[in-house]
Amino acid sequence: MPKALKLGAQAVALAGLVGLFALLIWKITHRPRPVKVGAAAPAFDLQRLDGNGRLALASWNGRVRVVNFWATWCGPCKSESPALQRLWEQYRKRGVVFVGVDYNDVASDARRFVRKHGLTYPMVRDRDGSVGNAYDLTGVPETFVVDRRGRLLEHFAGPIDRRDNDRAFRRAVDRALQS
Amino acid sequence: MKKLVAACAALLVVLPLAGTAAASEAHPTLAELEGEVMCPICHTTLDQSNSAAAGRIKAFIVRRIRAGDTKSEIKRELVDQFGPAILAAPPKHGFDLLAWLLPIVGILGGGLVIGFAAWRWSRRREPEFVLSGGGMAMPRPLDPELERRLDEELRHFED
Repeated sequence: MPKALKLGAQAVALAGLVGLFALLIWKITHRPRPVKVGAAAPAFDLQRLDGNGRLALASWNGRVRVVNFWATWCGPCKSESPALQRLWEQYRKRGVVFVGVDYNDVASDARRFVRKHGLTYPMVRDRDGSVGNAYDLTGVPETFVVDRRGRLLEHFAGPIDRRDNDRAFRRAVDRALQS
Repeated sequence: MKKLVAACAALLVVLPLAGTAAASEAHPTLAELEGEVMCPICHTTLDQSNSAAAGRIKAFIVRRIRAGDTKSEIKRELVDQFGPAILAAPPKHGFDLLAWLLPIVGILGGGLVIGFAAWRWSRRREPEFVLSGGGMAMPRPLDPELERRLDEELRHFED
C-alpha cells in the first residue's frame, strides 16, 4: 500500500476515534445533574395544556410555586388530584402558584383528565419529558415546592393525598411563604 | 430475451412488496405500529411494554386508525404529541439522516478496504507457470544463482 494512502487511512481511523471520544465526553458532561433540595429549581417554558400560549416558571418569580408532575396513565395521579385542587384553593389566597406539568402524555387525554377532575390551576405540557428529566423524576406523581427565590425547598415523590405527605406538604409551603 | 425474463422476474418480486407497503401506509394496524413506536417511559418499543403509559399510546393509535388516518399521519401526530424520540427509527432528514447514511458508508468503506487488500494480496503472489513462445505453460525459470547452486548440489549427489 502506498505510504500516503496508509497514512491517510490511519488519519481517518484516528479522527474517528477522537470523534467517538469527544461524543463520550460531551454525553458525560451534558448529563443532567440530579436536582437537589436547596438548589435552583430547573427553569422551564412550556406550552399550556389548553393550547393558549406558553408558561414559564420564571413568570412567577418572587412567589412561592408548587410544581406537580402528573400523567393520565398514572393511577395515583387520579387519587391525588382532589387533594391538590383543595390545597390550591386554600393556598392561592396566600399568593402561592400551583403548576401542573403533564408528563409524556396525549394532550387530548390530559385535557379530558383536567375537566373530569375539575382542576383549575395552570397546566402545561412536558411532551417529551425533558423538563421531568431536568427535575430528575423517578416517576409520577412528584411535587416540588419552590421558594420565592427560586430554590427547591421540598420534594415529594408519590401522591400528596396521604396524611403524612399532606402535613409535610403544608409545612413546606408555609416555610416557603416565610422565606 | 434473457433480459426481458429477468425484468419480469424482478417485477414479480417487487410488485407484491410495493402493494403490501401501500396497503400498510393506507390501512396501518396496531401490531405494525407497535414495533415502530417507543414507550417514552420504558424506553422500549410499544410491543415490548405492558406499562400504563404504553397502553395510553396504544389506545391513541387505535383511535387514529379508526378515524382513518394513514401510517404517516399517525406517526406525525405522535411526534407532535411526544416529540421525535417517540419513533423507534430516526427521521430521514437533517442531522438524523446520518444514522441512516453512516452504516451504508461503513459497509461500502469496509468493502472497498477488503477489496483493495484482496487485490494487493493477489498481485503479490507470482504465477507458478509462465507462457512459452508457443503458448504453452512452462515452469517459471529459476533464478540463475539458485540454478547454479542446485546443479552443484546435484553434481555432488552424483559423485
